[in-house]
Amino acid sequence: MTFRNRRKTDDAGNAVPEKKKRSWLKIQVESERYQPPRNGAILLQVLVGIFFFVFVARFWYLQIHRGAEFSEQAQNNRLRMELIFAPRGRILDDTNKVLADNRTAFGLALVPEDCHDVPATLAQISEWTNLPLDQVWDKYRSDRIKVKPFEPLLMITDMDFELVARVESELINWPGLEIVVRTKRSYPEKDLFAHVLGYVAEVNEREMQADPELAMGDLVGKQGLELELEKRLRGRKGEYEVEVDAHSRMLGKRLTKEPQSGEEINLSLDRDLQEAAWEALQGEAGCVVVMEPDTGKLRALVTSPAYDNNIFAAGISQRDWDALRTSKRFPLQNRVIQSVYPPGSVWKLVMAAMFLENGVSPNEGVFCPGQVKLGNQIFRCWRRGGHGSQNMQSALINSCDVYFYIMAERLGIDKIEEFAKACGFGRPTGIDLPHEKSGLVPSREWKRKRFKKPWVRGETYNVSIGQGYTLVTPVQMAVYVSSLLNGGKLLKPQLLDATPVEVVGTVPASLKTLNFVVESMRKTASGGTARVVGRKDADMGGKTGTAQVVKLRFAAGERRLKTAEMEYAQRDHAWIATWGRKNDKAYVVVVMVEHGGGGSSVAGPVAKKVYEHLFGPDEGAPRPRPAAETPPPARRATPLAPTPQSARPSPEGTPRPRNVVPLETRPARPQPQGRPAGQAPRYKIIIP
Amino acid sequence: MDKRLFTYLNWSLLLWLIALYFVGVGNLYSASGTRIESGLLSYAPFYQKQLIWGLCGLGCMLLTLCFDYRQLRNLAWPAYLACLALLMLVPVVGSTIYGAKRWISLGFMSIQPSEMTKLAMLVLTARLLSRDGKPLDWKNFFMVLAAGLLPVGFILKQPDLGTSMLILLILAGMILFHGLKPAVLKTCLLAVPCAGAFMWFVGMHDYQRQRILTFLNPGDDPRGTGYHILQSRIAIGSGELWGKGFGGGTQSQLRFLPERHSDFAVAVFGEEWGFIGCVALVTAFCLFLLSIFATAVQAKDRFGSMLVVGVFFYFFWQICINMGMVIGLMPVVGIPLPFISYGGSATIVNFTLVGIVLNVSMRRFMFKG
Repeated sequence: MTFRNRRKTDDAGNAVPEKKKRSWLKIQVESERYQPPRNGAILLQVLVGIFFFVFVARFWYLQIHRGAEFSEQAQNNRLRMELIFAPRGRILDDTNKVLADNRTAFGLALVPEDCHDVPATLAQISEWTNLPLDQVWDKYRSDRIKVKPFEPLLMITDMDFELVARVESELINWPGLEIVVRTKRSYPEKDLFAHVLGYVAEVNEREMQADPELAMGDLVGKQGLELELEKRLRGRKGEYEVEVDAHSRMLGKRLTKEPQSGEEINLSLDRDLQEAAWEALQGEAGCVVVMEPDTGKLRALVTSPAYDNNIFAAGISQRDWDALRTSKRFPLQNRVIQSVYPPGSVWKLVMAAMFLENGVSPNEGVFCPGQVKLGNQIFRCWRRGGHGSQNMQSALINSCDVYFYIMAERLGIDKIEEFAKACGFGRPTGIDLPHEKSGLVPSREWKRKRFKKPWVRGETYNVSIGQGYTLVTPVQMAVYVSSLLNGGKLLKPQLLDATPVEVVGTVPASLKTLNFVVESMRKTASGGTARVVGRKDADMGGKTGTAQVVKLRFAAGERRLKTAEMEYAQRDHAWIATWGRKNDKAYVVVVMVEHGGGGSSVAGPVAKKVYEHLFGPDEGAPRPRPAAETPPPARRATPLAPTPQSARPSPEGTPRPRNVVPLETRPARPQPQGRPAGQAPRYKIIIP
Repeated sequence: MDKRLFTYLNWSLLLWLIALYFVGVGNLYSASGTRIESGLLSYAPFYQKQLIWGLCGLGCMLLTLCFDYRQLRNLAWPAYLACLALLMLVPVVGSTIYGAKRWISLGFMSIQPSEMTKLAMLVLTARLLSRDGKPLDWKNFFMVLAAGLLPVGFILKQPDLGTSMLILLILAGMILFHGLKPAVLKTCLLAVPCAGAFMWFVGMHDYQRQRILTFLNPGDDPRGTGYHILQSRIAIGSGELWGKGFGGGTQSQLRFLPERHSDFAVAVFGEEWGFIGCVALVTAFCLFLLSIFATAVQAKDRFGSMLVVGVFFYFFWQICINMGMVIGLMPVVGIPLPFISYGGSATIVNFTLVGIVLNVSMRRFMFKG
């Protein structure tokens, strides 16, 4: 070999002896006085030193400096939290009829981390459901950023059984997809309780940020009691800690948090009464409030027209939503609390009490010629011929406008404002429903702010008969009428069965004053404008109102148009505020029919039907009853005492204290026995 | 055999060899465990096999001690040529596994000529460099380089980047130990980056380029090419100071860690023994290497010294590359960690090479008298 030959020649200067002849298996030692190269030795030691320090430093960095972070990542690899959904509490009426229920729905969820091929999987979802692929992708993209790693992303919320069966049979080919069982809300009474219950819908991003308990795909209350009682109805999700291996195979499962189902809540409302009131309205736009005057509990709260809240719970389409939103009849409006109306003559109940408290004698007479003049303005009484001489009671019974013009003029707007506000007008009643309106009690200050003009006397005239700027909600009126009967207590209207009486204010009037107004209402019901609600077998009282919507302008000699001849939007609102008592049961019923026309002719029959449901058909016809048949004043003088509490066996068999009237006084109603068959268990779990 | 020989034996090297080997077997035992249900472990038979391979290795080591290492000098060229011939045969009769042609099937077993070439190159380089103690000039440098690059070219074609790189690195280490003329050294230091660039654009396959890109940025594709790096980092990092305890590694037992028996075995160790264990392991490797180094400087002839230096670099580079890969300091290259990773032939080769070092150490005073 050339290498060896050359080496021999340049070996001259080398001290290394090499004399042995090369031969196979003969050991050659060419460097007996060998010293290792110094630089080489240093190099090796330096390399080992570098190795040691670099690697120890790196291990320190990974295991100590970032150890906690990697430790958490290892935990995330290994453990997954699986949520156990708690079913939302049901909402029942006072006799346990179901108003809001849960039903089982099958959803399709995607765990992107487990999914080997997301585009193909999404395409498959699109094929199964016939949803456009773009839509599936949009849903995926928008939700992807909202979920934590390994949290299932709910792609399809509600599949029918046919689809579930098909998906289930093919699921094995699609890792990362799983069928999840969720509960959905259903409202068996649909329109009847739509405004009271509101609805639930899928949680949005803003709500999720505000409440860490919420997760993707959760249903939360958006309106009505579902919104107000969200925290109580929701329950608490449970958690499983699931140990998985690298192939997402489950190795073990540990319950770390027990789910708690939402509270089941009984309303004070009565489904059958609600239906009766609903039917009495006969589809008119309007509302009915039935309240227990001594407890503030609402027994019926009807607003019409309404909508089917199930379409919201299922996810409303844009078209349905637009139709509801733009409807001329405003079905989304809860007229009991969200609509304000001029109260018309019903307002005279407030004014009469205010007159009495400000020293007006009930016996003082005023002559009604049919109109009064103020400057060049003419203020008419509703009866063009006039009522003649009227004292306070006859003015109430006949609803004489002139009496109230004169007396209000004497006392002035400031006193009216003060008293009306003290009676709960101009502010929300505090009912457990969202978006309650305040109404309006006009005042000098308000007018100055609103119109930059001073108050004029004619406006006091208008306010005195519940016209002009005065605006009230029907529920405010019900609270006020209740206060007349319960000794002046302004109660918070209660929707829930198991809530204590809550007094939010007191009418600044003596018992004598209240009883005078109550007595006047009784007489109005027996022989006055509200005689339509009068009954022989019960103690009844009422006051009608016909509130003008537009200022009437008609020249002298022109007659007032009949309701049917007017434009719908210009027709009067029909009011009636009533109370009734039979066998120790007392109710306040306020009916308001929007653009209905006359209070006694339109609102009255509705109230009458409600009482027929409450008290049964009138046993003592004919009507009208003579005024002499009213019960003795001794009884009337005492305000209604709160009904005693009594225990009643609840359907589950355990006694549950409830604020109810004694059982024997209740009309017999079917009581559900136990849970209906096939009802959802206490909680649902995800089936992975 | 002369009984005196054993008094000169490098006992500390033997000690560290045994220690590392048993740490490796113990670690394999743990790495073999797979959690199948809650609390249950099923063990793959890797650690048992490794014990058997260890015994075979021990046998080979004892055999190595029986003859004078200077006989190897005579075997250098024939072995080298034989390996070249086998390498040339691979493209013709080799069997393809995972897209690479590296094996020649002999029916009852497969041999990997590139593995043998490593050893043959080591011995040949030791022989070439032991001519004299002068720093290499250009001529001799190219001579050694040419002898090395020839088989490397064949191995690169297989393709087997890991082995070719390892051979070049061992060669480089031995040359540097031997010494170069300053001009040659300076030129080489300039040429290495150029060669790197050349490799990147010409010599590498796409998957190899991808590995390097992934190493630089493993988060780009956490479920794909970056998965190995990320999971092994998580495994080691989650060991924290004290580790999860023997058999307690979740990353390995739940199979998040890929290749946990072979290339990533040290990640299992890191997860279960923590920083303390890792420092101990690094220290053990350093002491093991220093024991080899001790023999290299004690050797009384240049061939023996160069042979031991070759063995030193053989272990040094593998430890650096494998552990560097596992802790994210180097791209993923399929090089096992000596004594810790599972591997039959690797275990036998490792024991044999240690046997050569022991051979050199115990015959270092043979020239006296």
